[in-house]
Amino acid sequence: MLRYVLSDSGHPTVKMAAPRSWALWSFCGCGWSRAVSGCRLPGLRSSSPRGPLGARLLSQEKEATETHFGFETVSEEEKGGKVYQVFESVAKKYDVMNDMMSLGIHRVWKDLLLWKMRPFPGTQLLDVAGGTGDIAFRFLNYVQAQHQRKQKRQLRAQQNLSWEEIARKYQNEEDSLGGSHVMVCDINKEMLKIGKQKARAQGYKAGLAWILGDAEELPFDDNKFDVYTIAFGIRNVTHIDQALQEAHRVLKPGGRFLCLEFSQVNNPLLSRLYDVYSFQVIPVLGEVIAGDWKSYQYLVESIRQFPSQEEFKEMIEDAGFQKVTYENLTSGIVAIHSGFKLYLR
Amino acid sequence: MATLLRGVLRPLCAFRGGPGPPAGVPFRAVSHGTGLLYPEHIPTSVLQKVLLAAGSAGMALYDPYRHDMVAVLGETTGRRTLKVLRDQMKRDPEGAQILQERPRISLSTLDMGKLRSLPEGSFGCAYLHFLDVNRVSPDTRAPTRFVDDEELAYVIQRYREIHDMLHTLLGMPTNILGEIVVKWFEAVQTGLPMCVLSALFGPIRLSAQSLQLLISELIPWAVENGRRAPCVLNVYYERRWEQPLQALRQELGITEPPLRVEGLA
Repeated sequence: MLRYVLSDSGHPTVKMAAPRSWALWSFCGCGWSRAVSGCRLPGLRSSSPRGPLGARLLSQEKEATETHFGFETVSEEEKGGKVYQVFESVAKKYDVMNDMMSLGIHRVWKDLLLWKMRPFPGTQLLDVAGGTGDIAFRFLNYVQAQHQRKQKRQLRAQQNLSWEEIARKYQNEEDSLGGSHVMVCDINKEMLKIGKQKARAQGYKAGLAWILGDAEELPFDDNKFDVYTIAFGIRNVTHIDQALQEAHRVLKPGGRFLCLEFSQVNNPLLSRLYDVYSFQVIPVLGEVIAGDWKSYQYLVESIRQFPSQEEFKEMIEDAGFQKVTYENLTSGIVAIHSGFKLYLR
Repeated sequence: MATLLRGVLRPLCAFRGGPGPPAGVPFRAVSHGTGLLYPEHIPTSVLQKVLLAAGSAGMALYDPYRHDMVAVLGETTGRRTLKVLRDQMKRDPEGAQILQERPRISLSTLDMGKLRSLPEGSFGCAYLHFLDVNRVSPDTRAPTRFVDDEELAYVIQRYREIHDMLHTLLGMPTNILGEIVVKWFEAVQTGLPMCVLSALFGPIRLSAQSLQLLISELIPWAVENGRRAPCVLNVYYERRWEQPLQALRQELGITEPPLRVEGLA
C-alpha cells in the first residue's frame, strides 16, 4: 500500500527554473512576479520526432500533424488556437452553463473527485486546466475541514496545557490549511481571470496560486506535487500523451494522477438519450444562455472524440503510471481515472 | 421516444456533410463541411428549432437587451411567412431586382461620403441623421444562421437591414416606445411571427403613461400606415438616397407621427 510523500510546508512562491519553461505570469495571494527563463520557445517543440532528414519525411509528417477539433479536421497548430478561442468566449458564462447543461450534477462529480483524492493537510496539489477554480476551492475546503478536525482532536488529547502554550496558540498566525497548497494552472487567461474573481468573491486567499501554463509543457520542476488533477480539461489538449508525460514528470514519487473527464456511456438506452441531449439541446442552451452555438457544438463533439475508458487507461499506463484504475460515474457519462507514480520508473 | 425522435430527425440527414460523426451515433446538427447553404448557416433539426424558438422567446422577455435572441426567434419561426414575403417580392419588379442583385446594407457597402453630401431633406440625409442621433450603426445586425433556405435567409437578412430605414421613414427613435411602434408597423406589413410576438409582448415593460399613449395614438397610427403602405421590402432604398424624404413617404402612404416619441419611455 503506497502513501503520498509528504513535503515540508513551503511558502507558496514558485520558482520557474525548469529548463523547458517559458515566459509566464504567476499570481500568488501576496502579489505577482514575472518569471522568464529557459531558452526554448513554445511552438518550436515538434510533436513527432524529427531527424535531420528534412524534406523526405515531410509528406509523412503532413498526415501526422492533422488532428480533430470536434468533428472537424484541423492542423495541430490550429487546434490550440481554436480551443483557446472557445474557452475565451465561454469563460464568463462557464459556470452557469455547466449548471444548466448538467443540471447541477457536475458539482457532484467534482465532489466525488475530491472524495476519491482524500487529501490531508500538507498536500501539494496541481490542478491543471482548472481555470475557474472549482477543484481548487473544493480542495481548500476539504483540507481546511480536515485540519480543523485534527486540531480539535489534538486539543482534546492535550488537556493540561500551560497558560503560555494557550496564549501562544491564540497569538500565532494559524495556518488553517496545515501546509496544504493548490496551484491552479490554465492555458487560458480569461478562465484564470474568472477563477481569480471567484476566489476573491468567495474569500479564498491562503494556499492558492494561479499560473498561466500549457499542460503539454508545464512550468514546474520535476517531482514537485503530491497530486495532479485535471478535470474536464484533458480532452481539449492537442497532445494528450505529452500532457500525461508532463503529469508524470511533475509528480513526486508516490504521487497520484487523477483525471475527471467525459467518457463513453456503457448503457445503450442512456447512450441514445445522452446523444440526443448532447447534440440537440446543449448547443441550443449555449445559444440562448451564452449567445454562442459553435463553442458548445465543439464541446459536445470533443466529448465523442475522446478515447474510451480502457483506451485512456492504456495511455496513462504508457506515460509511466502504475496501478491505473478508473471509476465510471453516472453510467459512464463521466469517468475518474487514477494512476500512481511509483519509485520503480 | 427515441425512435419517435429519430423518425423526425432522419429526413434531415440531407444536411450532413464533411468529416462525419462516428457510425452508429444518431443524427445531430453537423455544422461543418459541405452541408452549409450559406457561410453562416447552422443546420438545425426540427427539435432544435422548437427549443430555440422557445428559449429565445423566453430569454428575449427576460433580458430585453438580447437583440440576438429576437433575431433567432425570427429565424426559427418565420419559415412560412418568409416564403410568402419572397413570393411578394418576386411579383414586384423592384422587389425582384432586389432578390436578384442581393444588395447588403453595411458600413462597407454604403458610400458614407456620398450620403453626407446629399441635400437636406433627402432620404439619405435623414437616414444618416437618424444613425448619428441614435448612435447606431448598420453593422450591428447579426447574420442569419438558422434559416434552411438560401433565398429565405437573404429575405430575412434584408428585412433586418432595412429596419433602420423604417425608423427613418416613420420618424421613430430607438427607445423602447419607438421600437415597439416600428414592430407594430412591421407586424402588419410582414406578418412575421417574431414581429407579432414582439409587438404584443414588448409593451409589458412599459410604464402606464407610455402604454396609454401607445394604445391610444401610436398603435392605431402604425397599423393604419402598415396597412396602407405597399410591401416595404420591395423598395430599393439604395437607389433612393437622393429622393426627398417627404416624397418617399407620400409614395408609401406614410403620414407624420401623431406625437414626438423622442423624450418618452
